[in-house]
Amino acid sequence: MSDLSATVGAVWKQESARIVGGLLRLVHDVGLAEELAQDALVAALEQWPATGIPDNPGAWLTTTAKRRAVDHIRRSRTRERLAPDLARPPEPAEDDVLRLMFTSCHPVLPAEARVALTLRVVAGLSTAEIARAFLVGEQVIARRIAAAKRTLAESGVAYEPSAQLSSVLEVVYLIFNEGYAATSGTDLIRADLCLEALRLGRMLAVLAPDEAEVHGLVALLEIQQSRSAARTGPAGEPIPLHEQNRGRWDQLLIRRGFAAMLRAREAGGPPGPYVLQAAIAVCHTEENTDWVRVTALYEALERLVATPVVRLNRAVAVAFAYGPQAGLDLLDDLRTDPQMAAYHLLPGVRGDLLIKVGRPAEARHELQRAATLARNTAEREFLLRRAAALDVPDERSRLLGAAVTAFLAPLGPATARAYGQTLHRIARLAGDRTPLTGLTAARIAEIFAVSWPDVSPRTWNRHVAAIRSFATWSGSPSLAAALHPRPITAAASAPRPVVSAAASAPRSDVERRGETPLRERALWSLLRESGAKVGAVLTLNVEDLDLDDRSARDATIVWRSATARLLPELISGRTRGPLFLSDRRPGPGRPPAPADLCPETGRRRLSYERAAYLCKRATGHTLDRLRSV
Amino acid sequence: MRYLMMQKAGGAEPDAQLYADMAAFVEELTAAGVLLATGGLDPAGFKMTSVGDEITVTDGPFTEAKEAIGGFALIEVRSREEAIELGRRFRKIVGDGESLIHQVYGP
Repeated sequence: MSDLSATVGAVWKQESARIVGGLLRLVHDVGLAEELAQDALVAALEQWPATGIPDNPGAWLTTTAKRRAVDHIRRSRTRERLAPDLARPPEPAEDDVLRLMFTSCHPVLPAEARVALTLRVVAGLSTAEIARAFLVGEQVIARRIAAAKRTLAESGVAYEPSAQLSSVLEVVYLIFNEGYAATSGTDLIRADLCLEALRLGRMLAVLAPDEAEVHGLVALLEIQQSRSAARTGPAGEPIPLHEQNRGRWDQLLIRRGFAAMLRAREAGGPPGPYVLQAAIAVCHTEENTDWVRVTALYEALERLVATPVVRLNRAVAVAFAYGPQAGLDLLDDLRTDPQMAAYHLLPGVRGDLLIKVGRPAEARHELQRAATLARNTAEREFLLRRAAALDVPDERSRLLGAAVTAFLAPLGPATARAYGQTLHRIARLAGDRTPLTGLTAARIAEIFAVSWPDVSPRTWNRHVAAIRSFATWSGSPSLAAALHPRPITAAASAPRPVVSAAASAPRSDVERRGETPLRERALWSLLRESGAKVGAVLTLNVEDLDLDDRSARDATIVWRSATARLLPELISGRTRGPLFLSDRRPGPGRPPAPADLCPETGRRRLSYERAAYLCKRATGHTLDRLRSV
Repeated sequence: MRYLMMQKAGGAEPDAQLYADMAAFVEELTAAGVLLATGGLDPAGFKMTSVGDEITVTDGPFTEAKEAIGGFALIEVRSREEAIELGRRFRKIVGDGESLIHQVYGP
């Protein structure tokens, strides 16, 4: 008997979508359809012991349930209204299943209700199974499903739902992430959610084969799932993608993901959010990730869905493509976003990047903050271990001269030069052998007053930024407390910190005087006029440009007259290759990717870091600030 | 969980009806996201044996026709019961014979 109920249970899980979907067409009510299907299950448990299990148990259940549905309709008062349907020729079962999915994922329902109802009526899970997977009580799920059915019936969308595919895709992805986000402990059950989502996605791909986004979602799920065995360590700690043992990736699922990606491409149309995310996932399956491409894909994704998480991921990609400092610059914008306030990945990522730029004290602080915000125990411990492992010397016991040297050492040459100018001066006047603890904010303010009495606000602010950065790094931020940035333009009413001051006056005197090289003028002008992302502009090739139309890449980047005047001279007869080139040919040690090498001059593409440095040095602004004004 | 279902060769000669039923079954399982891979096996095959440092390759066939594996299907299901149920439907289609079903671990 228990064998039989196990069989019936297995049949139900495999067939429920088709059975309930077929009934929904007859009775126009998800709740009733499911009840009738359950009645058929009870009938199976009663009759199969005597008759044996039918050859096609699903077909048997469908027939039995439909007979009951017809009986029900004959009895009910809605007979007149529904009677014509009984005479209709049966529609293909596929349409029924698709309609059932549209119904259970209807936007009229809150997200968690959509998820629960879909798992119940489409995936055939029991209330208890859903409750276990979501770590809530069975009653909670039972109420949620009942409320969802009621809402559908009352809002009159139980039968002819507007076909909102995006809502279905969202539910499938939610289910997947619910399983994927969990990484330890009681998680076997939750991992099953990934499988349910995959099944739903694969079903959907057959039901709606012309929708690129469906195949994009399937590709994304298959590829993410392919890493499930490799993404946690023995203690349940997360393993970052690039440290995973690729041998444990499931090649079968990767291949399925690629196949889904090809189908998405065949379906055509502009890439939507799922196709873009899948394309990013595809990039990550390669041995050497093409981070410039990943960055471009994230930029496209951000144009469609500018969520903080997408922006965070773009910053990570930019850090890999253009150096950790470029990533940190992007993160600065995100730190003020209220949506990111409690999101542990932001300080986690910042911590990583700060380690890479050699700022261990700040990195430790960020990793500890990430640990407080992380909800998963394994992840929290992992973050705390990393924070503890950082070698953070106690700078306060050091002598000033040595501290300055240590502070400057890991910085990029540009920053080191700029900051060094300020700090060496302070060290000289205060005394190299002064312990940091002997230094006061008042003394530093004095040195500033003596050293830079009549400098322009911009120069003054640069010195202030240097000492602030040094003070924070050394663990005594109060050292810079007596110094304030000065407003850059007369119009600016109150003193503002350096960063925002830089945003107010992008067009510097230097730039106007024409001492600035043509390349820089063209780059800044293009950024200002197009408003395009720095990364996108730097990856432009000569052949991308339509000079007559003043646009590039299908008019995603357009410019005006100032840029149009500069470009012909900049191109100066070149026909292809990177638009913005570095000054020198690459050394033999680090050959650039072919796409980043100008075939005509042999020079490499101008890097983000170099462009950022040149802009900062000449104008005091970041490239991004130019763009945003 | 994944199961590898292996069908022993032999049994009734396949007729047009069997081909049609199998095609429909495979299509249904693919649409349900259950069937990951499937294929038939060349009954000849070859065998590799290692003894100490020595490895020998022997061409097949080796066994009684009805003992050889004739085809396989890799399925992804929620439970052993689902695997049994799919196996049962498969056997109903192909008629007399034998299947071996193993759970697959990894990768």
